[in-house]
Amino acid sequence: MIRRQIPFLLALWKANLQAAMEYRGAFLAQVLGMMLNNAVYFVFWILFFDRFKQVNGWNLNDMLLLFGIAAGSFGLGVFLFGNLMFLGDIIAKGRLDYYLSLPRPVLLHALASRSITSGLGDFTYGMISFMLAGQFGADTMARFFLGLISATAVFVGFMVLVQSLAFWLGNSSALAQLALNAIVTFALYPISLFDNTAKFLLFTLVPAAFMGAIPAGFVRSFSWSALAQLTLAAIVFLGLAVWTFRRGLRRYESGSAIQIET
Amino acid sequence: MKRIGKYWAIFKTQILNTLAYPGELAWRSLSIILFLWVFANLWRVTYRAEGSGTLNGISLKDMLWYLMLAETIELGKPRLARVMADAVKDGSVAYLLNKPYHFILYHLSTGMGESLVRGSMTALFGGAIVWLMMGPPPDPRGWPLAAAGVLGAWLLHFCVNALIGLAAFVSEEVAPYEWIYQKLAFILGGLFIPLDLYPLWLQNIARYLPFAYMLYGPARLFIAPDIGLFLNVLGGQIFWLAVLGGLLFFFYSRGMRRLAINGG
Repeated sequence: MIRRQIPFLLALWKANLQAAMEYRGAFLAQVLGMMLNNAVYFVFWILFFDRFKQVNGWNLNDMLLLFGIAAGSFGLGVFLFGNLMFLGDIIAKGRLDYYLSLPRPVLLHALASRSITSGLGDFTYGMISFMLAGQFGADTMARFFLGLISATAVFVGFMVLVQSLAFWLGNSSALAQLALNAIVTFALYPISLFDNTAKFLLFTLVPAAFMGAIPAGFVRSFSWSALAQLTLAAIVFLGLAVWTFRRGLRRYESGSAIQIET
Repeated sequence: MKRIGKYWAIFKTQILNTLAYPGELAWRSLSIILFLWVFANLWRVTYRAEGSGTLNGISLKDMLWYLMLAETIELGKPRLARVMADAVKDGSVAYLLNKPYHFILYHLSTGMGESLVRGSMTALFGGAIVWLMMGPPPDPRGWPLAAAGVLGAWLLHFCVNALIGLAAFVSEEVAPYEWIYQKLAFILGGLFIPLDLYPLWLQNIARYLPFAYMLYGPARLFIAPDIGLFLNVLGGQIFWLAVLGGLLFFFYSRGMRRLAINGG
């Protein structure tokens, strides 16, 4: 079942990439522009640690690793499954009809039908940030790869979960925007800043810890506990997302609108 | 007077438009609570680690009120670059051009109308969370000075946003310009850290650029109202409004000459 979907996914991603590269200038501007955007944003941390050296045990090098994972997983998520940013809108406007009428998994097809080009810039920036952290061992790279996959799975799962609330709430784009702001904002700060209650929320309600601090810590040093947490978080959030989407799909009502997917 | 009256009417209409969906407006304004809560944690830990009640004369409470106003300016600023760029690219600009108002002044009126409502709502949520975490706001007698600074800041943001929107006359994609401009404003405007805490060389560079008058100036006025600082912010804003506004009208007239509208 899963093996059958891999060629399908690869074909979708290839088509998305070709469509994005149709306008070379715009493609390059988005990728390079996003890399520069992230680099300028990171200047904040350079200035901060220039003045304060460390904050609750975190230093500039830790932030480079954190940005490597967070920017990399965000970029990978929105480039490969770009509709995770618009799923709620697709549901609310009755535009799932197109995917329902085709013999492919509805959620997978809907998510992968769009690529957000700038995500490639985020992903590349994440790789550069990881390299700047100076961790070049083969085992470190393997841990980074694992951390990145797990963080991407949690991010995609969380966004699908929130966007699927549109089955019950109707237009929930403002809620989805708030959820996106929350997971990205919290993922980009050292987790040691927060007290235990806040940490609990960052592991559950808004799982930003699994998109930033936990995988970044795992890259720095291996631990079975971190590996177990990352694996479990990826399975739980993806599982919850699929379950919620399927439950919601039972309530879905078509608008019977004529639509063309390009 | 009649000429100003129509833009005032557009401004008021936009306020009503933005208020039409209060639930959506409130949800979108909630983000400031997240940002300020994260900042409160970051700066609380930093002040504790420094073992000092103030950093360059700024207390933790003042730091959070500074960040509240800076975030209010940033989250409430006119965001018209994409709207204008889309209008230029899809030709719908023609719909506005044949109306009895100026394209730029029309967008200025709608942008400021939306900023006023979104900014007020953001300040309300932001103010509530900072008050809850840190205590009451700075002396209300300084608020009118800061409010004037916020207005000037939004006008400056409008000029840059509109310039980016008009870049669609010559560029396929304007979003990257918007991202980079936003991040430059974050850093050189002092959105996350007041400029006073920067290395001296960077402070000197930042003070010669418009970004400091878009965020740092009004936010600093809010926590430390002072007539000298007010005149400095006002002077800087007027200077940069003349430069950026001049560039905007220049590029607008150049862009109109390049515009080709086919059919209708």
